[in-house]
Amino acid sequence: MTILEVQDLKTYYSTLMGDVKAVDDVRLRMDKGEALGLVGESGCGKTTLALAIMRLLPWNGRIAGGKIMLNDIDIVGLDDKTFDKEYRWKKMSYVFQGAMNALNPVFKVGAQIAEAITIHEDVENPEAMERARELFRLVGIDPERTTSFPHELSGGMKQRAMIAMALACNPDFIIADEPTTALDVIVQAQTLEVMRELQKKLGLTTMIITHDLSVVAQTCSTCAIMYAGNLVEYADINTIFSEPAHPYTKALIGAFPSIKEDRRELVSIAGVPPNLLHPPTGCRFNPRCPNRMDICSKEKPDYLELEDGHNAACHLLTKEG
Amino acid sequence: MNGEIELKVENLKKWFPVRRGIVSTLLSRKTDYVRAVDDISFEVRKGEIFGLAGESGCGKTTAGKTVLRLLEPTSGKIYFEGRDITALNKLEMKELRRRMQIVYQDPYQSLNPRMTVFDIIAEPIQVHKMSDSLAETEDIVHKALEEVELIPGEDFVYRFPHELSGGQRQRVAVARTLVLQPSFIVADEPISMLDVSIRAGILKVMLKTRLAQDVTYIFITHDLAYARHICHRGAIMYSGKIVEMTSMDHLVKHPLHPYTIALMKAVPVPDPEYEKARAVIGGEVPTPINPPPGCRFHPRCSKASDICRKEEPELTEVGNEHFVACHHAL
Repeated sequence: MTILEVQDLKTYYSTLMGDVKAVDDVRLRMDKGEALGLVGESGCGKTTLALAIMRLLPWNGRIAGGKIMLNDIDIVGLDDKTFDKEYRWKKMSYVFQGAMNALNPVFKVGAQIAEAITIHEDVENPEAMERARELFRLVGIDPERTTSFPHELSGGMKQRAMIAMALACNPDFIIADEPTTALDVIVQAQTLEVMRELQKKLGLTTMIITHDLSVVAQTCSTCAIMYAGNLVEYADINTIFSEPAHPYTKALIGAFPSIKEDRRELVSIAGVPPNLLHPPTGCRFNPRCPNRMDICSKEKPDYLELEDGHNAACHLLTKEG
Repeated sequence: MNGEIELKVENLKKWFPVRRGIVSTLLSRKTDYVRAVDDISFEVRKGEIFGLAGESGCGKTTAGKTVLRLLEPTSGKIYFEGRDITALNKLEMKELRRRMQIVYQDPYQSLNPRMTVFDIIAEPIQVHKMSDSLAETEDIVHKALEEVELIPGEDFVYRFPHELSGGQRQRVAVARTLVLQPSFIVADEPISMLDVSIRAGILKVMLKTRLAQDVTYIFITHDLAYARHICHRGAIMYSGKIVEMTSMDHLVKHPLHPYTIALMKAVPVPDPEYEKARAVIGGEVPTPINPPPGCRFHPRCSKASDICRKEEPELTEVGNEHFVACHHAL
């Protein structure tokens, strides 16, 4: 069952120098229970895509085209009030990047979670506090800690508290933005375990935004690779790692070290990601691509379905096919 | 690499006093110390890349800075090319600094935003009087930019840091270090702020000089996967102490200390078919103020016994240059 469908979404930021095309013609479908990893370099538009889905874009950002269907309802067209009351946090929620700074330092964490509950649901505060304690238990923190202030929690606990907050109103779908980036390796492993458990226990549909391919390999069932505002490849997690189709995906995997493989020379991708004010014509990856052909700088490759559930946008694929 | 020892550190300590209010000072209560680095000893061989790895707060950066005397050691000895540098005065130290350099973690903070790339790279040349004329300085700067693959150099010399990408900034920081032709560099998480796709490129320009000029590196990192691919030997630090030290390959394949084992299990592998990373220990790194008696890891350790709570284990060799500080490692 499809839970989320993004159709040709364009999200632009207006600046004095023109529109920054942070997300351009992204097509994406997520089934219920899917754990999607959204991967890309900084500035490729992955956070913008997520903020657009949550309708939390900053003032200069706008959805310039396309649809976002959540359970077959286009949420782009909904008015703010309905969206606030019935969608955001109730049907889908967001684990913000940088849990260290995302909690309000002057309120107790339990109260912050209870606030989210009382705003969206018709419950009294004591009941909301009890729910907060339950949520803490669910993510593996001692429920007594709901009366702690954020500075009294360690980094890993704050991250879990953020996850608990996202689960406050039983959403079907959550987006986690770089959930482990600032964490140490052991705490990261603890957090990933919590995420995996929740996916299983609650049947959650999750989108995990990260630049870390190993996090995706550990927690996701499918993976979407973004480059310069475009989705360049989408497949289930095993296919992405064993048979990547797009040169960018291949390069990204080659650049990523694994502790399990023998010492090797790591390969970087030449050049820098393009400026999205004036993205390159044709395929946006063409200036950095090792397999560039003439057509690449002229025509934008179609986002094709190679086989069931494996999509990619590259001219190499049409030429061979 | 030959067996020659470039840097030898003996019982190095760096304690930071915890500032207190006036009342407790007057009552002359005991001063607390953050024992950031607490009695570590190691050797780095010439031409080697020595990894110093551990979680945040374990003291790896403090160790790196203290080794260069950017922080004054509380006690202990540091021998650089056989010479005890803890005894040197400021002038002698300045002489030596040309040969001992550091690359910082964050290129967004380590470059002066008001200086052009040219000024940034030329400054150390002037400080150490390595050129006689402006023309010569220009020549050195251009060569340095070429070396870090900022090509063509003319395009970059008049830019300010804000006109560069993160990767380009870090290249400038590396160029600034390399113009002095140092023989020893401490690289403090030089790639952790950068995108995965460009990290390898920065490492390449940093490390290619190692072969040409026999430069020795201490590579400080929290990312064990990178340490594995870069370092020859490595030490794992926990709460100011070295808990295990051996060749990187051996460390990854046959860790002995319970903490190292836990670390290795927690590193996620970028391969979905691989066993998932697990946190075999709970909790987080404790504060290094008044650390627990005995082994510092014992509150989190599954093997902990009475002796671990009382006696601090020494870093001992268990064979073939493999050092472990654990009562139960054998």
